[in-house]
Amino acid sequence: MTIAFGFLAGMVLVSALGVVVSRNVVHSALFMSGSFLGVAGFFVMLNAPSLAAFQVLIYVGAVTVVILFGIMFTQRPQVRHYRTIINRQFWAGLCVAAGVGAFLSYVLWIEDWSSAQAGNGPREVAQLGRDMLGVSPGSEIFALLFQVVSVLLLVAIVAAIVVSRRKVGTGVDRGVEE
Amino acid sequence: MPAQAQSVLDALLASPPLQAYLIVGAIMFAIGAWGALVRRNAVVIFMCVELMINGVNLTLVAFADFLPNAGGLGVGYAVLVIAIAAAEIAVGLAIVLAVFRSRRTVNVDEVTSMRG
Repeated sequence: MTIAFGFLAGMVLVSALGVVVSRNVVHSALFMSGSFLGVAGFFVMLNAPSLAAFQVLIYVGAVTVVILFGIMFTQRPQVRHYRTIINRQFWAGLCVAAGVGAFLSYVLWIEDWSSAQAGNGPREVAQLGRDMLGVSPGSEIFALLFQVVSVLLLVAIVAAIVVSRRKVGTGVDRGVEE
Repeated sequence: MPAQAQSVLDALLASPPLQAYLIVGAIMFAIGAWGALVRRNAVVIFMCVELMINGVNLTLVAFADFLPNAGGLGVGYAVLVIAIAAAEIAVGLAIVLAVFRSRRTVNVDEVTSMRG
């Protein structure tokens, strides 16, 4: 378990750093999918294999493809200088992020987790399904949350279509021009 | 097998504590925040926001597995978070496409038409 944890932690963190420091945008997107795969491995270790399947389907599959489409429409995949991809707040941003990470890690480390014991996750898919539908005791709120998220997804899809649609007869699709 | 090798093997086979997962999630959140602060490309900023969301998701699922009174419900919340993140990325990329059509750039520090 510790070997798998170390491998997955290295994969997640190195890929996450690769997203930030990679000079090629397409490489950033592929590093991001590697990081999501590592998180899916963590979900398997944490007794949530069905959530790991969701993670692979939605993040590694769908979100990465959508982001690659966005890259394809908006820019040429080429290596750029760090001057042009990083704004002027490089070191200030590094200090802020390192401070946030160190503070969170410190707070989580000094907390007393002695009562925590692994193995409470919904390992069975049927258990997760009952939780999501609000049938099992203690999860009644999910009956509402599930519907709210469904409506939110519908609204977001309609909004994405409306925002990205070209007005009929006005302008050209400039992403295709060059 | 000597006792030292046995203890090393036991340490390698033991399951990691809760803090290990939490700290990986916190560092992942910090890396995503760094990228969202320093990169100029709007698409890369979206990727970094997704990294932050994944760090928080990892924390949620770790709590759901380790805390006895959570009842595993954190996994259900993680599913909801994934759905909301997917909605966010769809709307966000649509906005990026619309901005690119009118401004010919996706660098967030060059889109300054609303600056007072």
